[in-house]
Amino acid sequence: MKRIGAIAGITFKEAKRDRILYLLFFFAALGIVASRVLAILTVGDRVKIIKDVGLASIAVFGVLMAILIGTGLVYKEIDKKTIFTLLAKPLHRAEFILGKFLGLVLTLFVMTAAMTVIFLAIVYAHTLQVEGRLLVAVAYIFLELVLITAVAILFSSFSTPILSSLFALAFYLIGHLSWGLELIIKKMAPGTGRTLVRILYLVLPDLENFNFKTEVVHGLPIPPGIYVSSVLYGVCYTAFILGLAVLVFRRRDFV
Amino acid sequence: MKTPLSSAGRQGTATILLIVFLLAAAAGLVGLKAATDRIVREELPGSSIIYIPSGKFLKYATFGFRGLAADLIYLWAIQYYSTPTIDDRFDHLDHIFAIINELDPRYQDPYEVGALIAVQEARNVGAAFAILDRGAANNSDQWIYPFNAGHIALMTIKDYALAETYFERTMKIPGAPDFVERLRANAIFKKGDLGTSWETWLDIYERAADERTKKIASNHLYNVKATIDRTALEAAVAAYRERFGRPPADLDALARTGLVREVPKDLDGKDYVYDPETGRVRTAISPWRR
Repeated sequence: MKRIGAIAGITFKEAKRDRILYLLFFFAALGIVASRVLAILTVGDRVKIIKDVGLASIAVFGVLMAILIGTGLVYKEIDKKTIFTLLAKPLHRAEFILGKFLGLVLTLFVMTAAMTVIFLAIVYAHTLQVEGRLLVAVAYIFLELVLITAVAILFSSFSTPILSSLFALAFYLIGHLSWGLELIIKKMAPGTGRTLVRILYLVLPDLENFNFKTEVVHGLPIPPGIYVSSVLYGVCYTAFILGLAVLVFRRRDFV
Repeated sequence: MKTPLSSAGRQGTATILLIVFLLAAAAGLVGLKAATDRIVREELPGSSIIYIPSGKFLKYATFGFRGLAADLIYLWAIQYYSTPTIDDRFDHLDHIFAIINELDPRYQDPYEVGALIAVQEARNVGAAFAILDRGAANNSDQWIYPFNAGHIALMTIKDYALAETYFERTMKIPGAPDFVERLRANAIFKKGDLGTSWETWLDIYERAADERTKKIASNHLYNVKATIDRTALEAAVAAYRERFGRPPADLDALARTGLVREVPKDLDGKDYVYDPETGRVRTAISPWRR
């Protein structure tokens, strides 16, 4: 545990020094602040536009941070041969992967928190109240980022950063499209094909489970059960991906 | 032989030249931008709208940002529909707002603004009803949509039966204001169903919680009774004229000849005013100034 913490700490420090992190944060902040300008163009509720654009900025730039930093984390260690120094020490490969993962999760937590502060400040400037419910949407966006981080690290453990970025981005897009399979299942006649599509539907990530933006923005009720099931789904999927990453990384030969 | 001083001097000159170059380039690109903007280009405004797919399909391509996509299309629509130079901009109005409604069914502004554009700008009442019906179907707790539809039916197309239906629907939604039932009663009156109108206004009068509502209902009851009486009296005047070849000198002549059982009085017990020249009957006072 101590060793995982040490790796996580180093990863956090390393990510902190990455310029791309600040560049993305700058654009995220710009997006959140620019929502005010965009809101001027509307007829009606300006705050709705600000909330939608703000939450989208946090989600999009958070995902970009997770992918662009996460996909380089393990690869860089291998490419620069620093992995030999690390693995020569009494450090299990699983601890290395988990340390990298937790370090980036910590980085993303700090970044998401900073973006949220700016977002809440902009909303406060319009409504003169702190809308705590927005934090529900942000919390689940963060959960989604945690899963994407695991995916980025998985691909980073055996592929180049460019390919890993593409794979992780594909995972993100599939995750937001897979709910459409439900419609296809409904339209298919019972049989092997439908069973296969159903299996695919169950196995593919469903990132819509972490999407509470609409409910939060419109103040719609969220069924209490979905809070717990979404968190558990996120934790399970992340654990599965990390397990896969450890499996792949353990089998890698660096010589 | 090169000296450090001359090298520094050359470096300074190069820097100055570079700055001059940068300034010239900046001035050039600003000037070119302005010149390019002045060139009028052929435009096909709105020609691409019909290719925008239905919201049902578009929402799959928004990757979890359906609300944001709805916002952006709505913002674009506001700018698009407020550009008078685009002659055919209203051709696909319902299609555009259907996309927004499909992407974010709980986004309220597009329903109201879309219907407003349809009625006031596009003069397309059908599109307005379609947008408002969608608003009502997607937001069964919002009374504003059937109310707005009823208002359009009442004021714009003067389809009083349709207005009555919409107002009746509005009244069933919790939170609907009290005046909706008065609008419904008025629509029934304008539809020509005077019997139901009398009963409806009487019910409103009897249930009125405040004096203002009581007074409004009373004025309408006065108007409904006056309309019923006037119709009957004017018909009797016409029958009298047919029978005797001249109009009656006063309304009592109608009772004396048996054309009416008795000459009715208005709700306040006052006589109706009769004009023998035109044969028209009216109240002594306006129903709204009693």
